[in-house]
Amino acid sequence: MELERSDREFMHPGHVGCPGCGAAIAMRFLLKALGEKTMMIIPACCWSVIAGPYPTTTLKIPVIHSAFETGGAVASGVRAALDMKGDRDTTVVTWAGDGGTFDIGFQALSGAVERNEDFIYVCYDNEAYMNTGIQRSSSTPYGAWTTTTPGKDWKKMRKKNIVEALAAHRIPYAATASISHPEDLVRKVRRAQATGGSRFLHIFASCPTGWKIPSEMAVKIARMAVQTNIFPLYEVEEGLHYTINTKPKRFPVREYFKIQGRFQHLTDADLDVIQKMVDEDWELLLRKAGEHA
Amino acid sequence: MVEKAQARAESENPIRIMPRSTRSTEGNKTGSWRYLRPRYEEKTAPCSAACPAGEDIGKVEMLTSQGLFKEAWETILRENPFPGVCGRVCFHPCEGSCNRGEFDDPIAIRAVERFLADTAERYDLKPLLERLPARPEKIAVAGAGPSGLAAAWFLTQLGYACDVFEASPEAGGILRWGIPLYRLPLAALQHEIARIEAQGVRIHTGRPVTPGFLRDLETSYSAVYLACGHGRTTALRVPGEELDGVGDGLAFLERIRRGETPDVRGMSVIIGGGNTAVDVARSIVRLGGEALILYRRRRKDMPAFGDEVQMALEEGVKLEELVAPERIEKDGGRIRITLRHMRIAGEEGGRGRIEPDGDRTSRVVAERLFKATGAEAGEAWYNPPPAGKGTVALSHCALSLREGRPALARGGDLTNGIKSVAHAIASGKQAAIALDTLFREGADSILSRLEACTVGVGPSLSMEIHMGGERRLRNRHVVVYGEINTDYFRYAPRMTQPRLVRAERARSFAEIDLRVSGNIAMREAERCFNCGLCDQCDNCHLFCPDLAVLRGKEGLGRSINYDYCKGCGLCVVECPRNAMTLEEEDR
Amino acid sequence: MKRVLEGSQAVAEAVRLARVQVVSAYPITPQTHIVEFLSEYCASGTMNARFLRVESEHSCMAALIGAQSAGVRTFTATSGQGLALMHELLHWAAGARLPIVMAEVNRALAPGWNIWVDQTDSLAQRDTGWIQFYCEDGQEVIDTTLQAYRLAESVALPAMVVLDAFFLSHTYEPVDVPEQEEADRFLPPYEARFQLDTAAPCSFGPLVPPAVYMEMRHDIAKAMETALSRFPGIENEYAAVFGRRYGVVEAIRCEDAEIVFVTSGTVTSTARSLLENLRSRGERLGILKIRLFRPFPVEAVRRALGGAAKVAVIDRNFSFGASGIFAQEVRAALCNAPGHPPVFGFVAGIGGRDVTPELLEEIYWKTKNSDAPEKESVWIGLQEV
Repeated sequence: MELERSDREFMHPGHVGCPGCGAAIAMRFLLKALGEKTMMIIPACCWSVIAGPYPTTTLKIPVIHSAFETGGAVASGVRAALDMKGDRDTTVVTWAGDGGTFDIGFQALSGAVERNEDFIYVCYDNEAYMNTGIQRSSSTPYGAWTTTTPGKDWKKMRKKNIVEALAAHRIPYAATASISHPEDLVRKVRRAQATGGSRFLHIFASCPTGWKIPSEMAVKIARMAVQTNIFPLYEVEEGLHYTINTKPKRFPVREYFKIQGRFQHLTDADLDVIQKMVDEDWELLLRKAGEHA
Repeated sequence: MVEKAQARAESENPIRIMPRSTRSTEGNKTGSWRYLRPRYEEKTAPCSAACPAGEDIGKVEMLTSQGLFKEAWETILRENPFPGVCGRVCFHPCEGSCNRGEFDDPIAIRAVERFLADTAERYDLKPLLERLPARPEKIAVAGAGPSGLAAAWFLTQLGYACDVFEASPEAGGILRWGIPLYRLPLAALQHEIARIEAQGVRIHTGRPVTPGFLRDLETSYSAVYLACGHGRTTALRVPGEELDGVGDGLAFLERIRRGETPDVRGMSVIIGGGNTAVDVARSIVRLGGEALILYRRRRKDMPAFGDEVQMALEEGVKLEELVAPERIEKDGGRIRITLRHMRIAGEEGGRGRIEPDGDRTSRVVAERLFKATGAEAGEAWYNPPPAGKGTVALSHCALSLREGRPALARGGDLTNGIKSVAHAIASGKQAAIALDTLFREGADSILSRLEACTVGVGPSLSMEIHMGGERRLRNRHVVVYGEINTDYFRYAPRMTQPRLVRAERARSFAEIDLRVSGNIAMREAERCFNCGLCDQCDNCHLFCPDLAVLRGKEGLGRSINYDYCKGCGLCVVECPRNAMTLEEEDR
Repeated sequence: MKRVLEGSQAVAEAVRLARVQVVSAYPITPQTHIVEFLSEYCASGTMNARFLRVESEHSCMAALIGAQSAGVRTFTATSGQGLALMHELLHWAAGARLPIVMAEVNRALAPGWNIWVDQTDSLAQRDTGWIQFYCEDGQEVIDTTLQAYRLAESVALPAMVVLDAFFLSHTYEPVDVPEQEEADRFLPPYEARFQLDTAAPCSFGPLVPPAVYMEMRHDIAKAMETALSRFPGIENEYAAVFGRRYGVVEAIRCEDAEIVFVTSGTVTSTARSLLENLRSRGERLGILKIRLFRPFPVEAVRRALGGAAKVAVIDRNFSFGASGIFAQEVRAALCNAPGHPPVFGFVAGIGGRDVTPELLEEIYWKTKNSDAPEKESVWIGLQEV
């Protein structure tokens, strides 16, 4: 991987992400792919803190931290200003967590991509409000414990399928990516960068703290999510053309769930239900991609 | 004036402080969070531990996959002066222990070794190897077989002047006289011997080892290494084995290697199940005769390489299992062998335990019979004296330290349970390290020194470790399959060794295994897990969330910046090859 | 050039003259005409600006925060509910020291739905760190908008230009529209103090610990003080180009007044006619029009009211549980001035109800005939319910 072997780094060490932070890895990959001509909008999320307290910043690119629900809107404004200044080289990127994307920021995101604003929206998904201490979001998967879905009240609803929601806006480019597949991730960032209009990347970024896994498993667990089809890697062009990037061996979901503290309460019967959901989603995806199981 | 003052006042920045960061986070030394500490620590690949010669196979494959063929070849030479021989005739226990075998198929390690030797031969490469400064001691080696030559090679590397004395007219021992050309062409062997000589080893042929000769050597050398092999075929201990028409398998092979074309018309019977038996039978087929191997156990119990047996059968050799000769008699101009039928009565030591199958017997009539059930020392005194009384039995050699006399080491087939080329080389290496330690540090240090040079759990030894090379830094832990992060490897079929077709094989003594291209060898070497070794894959650097893995010059070499490493352990888990270790922080 | 313009178009004309580069807006009555005019200007090329048709007022302000951070001049307009939805980001814009300018057409807050004038929406934003101007007529709207850019950019704080719904936003009046060249002379191109720049990366709005947050807030407080001290100079420059000047407050015949009305917005005009009427009958009424509400011009208010026997504040707004908001501010300004007059608070015209000369005269006599205020705020014109 030529890019990753290069020493292009757009982060300083010394950030305050938890040990094994998937979101920190995702940011590193993203910036390596985008390069220095990038401006970033960070609505409230773990990265609001990770980036470092005043007067420090761990990012070597210009950044504007913004209110929780404003990822799509602030980017629209930055892009408009750059356009007015004649700057067409700089890539404008919003970097938001799942809460800021699936929930509170969904309106601004939907508005921005409906207008086909020329920017990349990246959601790094750690499947709950981690920065505030692991509360449920609409990205939290079925079956998960969080501090607001404790005990028997573990989450009984499916995770919102955000990429499908974005594809429904018929945006030029939407894709999933995972920190466990850096080459695929970097390729998609590059592709997004080369595409005009609204682009959306959904990056699976594990959270050892919130998922209750050992920090050293952060990448492994992300890879397992891909291998089990819990998080398939695919791209959608213009909301119509689906490409599935990896065809995993469809490992059973059981192993993925068994090693995470947040799923410890699930019974075998629960896992069977989840397996059915995952299979169903995969079949649906295959159909959209014009393929058959 | 008023306007200007106003403009000036307005141009003054009204912002003295605001939420705006311009400084790096580098001042925040997150290393203080760490309670686990990753570090680079290479470990031992199972292949290298299984190799009697202790070859650094993981590294050889890595260098090969990178196209660094000369470096790969030199890496073999540090541990084994016979890559061209072992690349052809070794029984490759390395492949049996290969972790890749649990994933799909083991690496074709022997074929890659042969490729490297072929490449060195083709381009006439001269190895550039470390060599210690000259020592005052001179060492004599008796026997120019694989063990003697290996000992001389290593001792030369260690700075000693070596003379090798060989009874035959040419060096090579079993390699020269006992292995048929279709397995080991003469040129391949000569190339290896020439390189050993080029290293400074002097070989004197036509000098058989007698008690008197040994005494002479002791007067002019500081030590003697006796490695004159097992040259005499073991007796069958059945009536009639002295009859005309009953021959010695090894002697038969030697006649062919001397250039003779023995008359093998009609049926020849070969008694035995080892490589010699198979070699004799296949040579007979090539000379136009018929061959029948009689073996007292089953085919799968034969010590001969499975591949060789398979090819022999393809070439027309017949095999009868579970029969043991009971009596040999004359039958006109032919010989008649009475066979006692055996049956399997359980398993022992990985092969069948046999007992007579009731009273069943049968007879075979043939033109001649070859004994190939094993060999022994040409003279009883070649064998090592019992341990104790000044003689130490080491894993691959015996060392006799006698007051006022030069040390005498014995190795090769004289001491080894398993009579293989690789074991013979292991003897030569062990003797060389033992003698070097004796001269440098004294007898008391020998055992600890050998222990320090052990590859993995032993008994394989590494000359590179003895000579202070980087290999000494590796952890002895032998990497097991479960420690490989197989997510980083894809299934890939093992290379197929190209060979002469059966019809071609049966007609001549031309080498059966054909050369492979660099592409094939590289692709095969790429399959290697390189267990326990860093191949600069960069995963540790790539996945570090804290930018705490630094790369050395030109992207080679890695180090951890403990100022920032939080000890998450990702680098260790994502290392495909278990070349890193995570430990509790000592604070 | 004199033109007859709707108050909304006066705003749009000023925005055009200010060479705003990014406009963002979401429709809400009664602000809509402003952004319709601006859309036309952008579409026709009259203005060289990007118009972001965002999906909410919240996103509108967010987009301007982004655009202004990237170094361009921006504008938006809103009303009532829209301003309330923006609330979070009003704090943000000020905290980020972004000189965004917004026209705010006062509208009553629901429920029930009411699109008519009421100042509670903008006054509820008084603590967000925005400069606030209240305008009386179309000419003042165009002039104030241009001045607002100059002042906002001078102190790196956002500014709100507030108009009464319909009475000002939808009323046509002759307005002298400055020439572009003159406007340029008064308002040079925008130069950001700090901006997003890939050549000099920095991070806006990071985590700020208690150790420095307070200093940052104090810096905003100081900037507000600076705004107050710099504004007269800016108005002088404006007057030098255009010959018009309004002051942070306008004191109308306060020198000899016995009773001074404190007003804001279009009520001032009604009060002006009452003043003529009462003066002709020998009553000594004065008016103090408050134009700049944030920063609050305490000294000017004290000076103007110091000689009056009584002060009557007319509030078209209300802070529940307290009183009219201007009354609170006036009382607060006066309370530390020795011998200050009593302050009578009156609430009138809530939710778009007319504030007629008769209503104002009722206030005058109530004030004159009372020795002291009976309560903090007296609601005028209430019907029995």
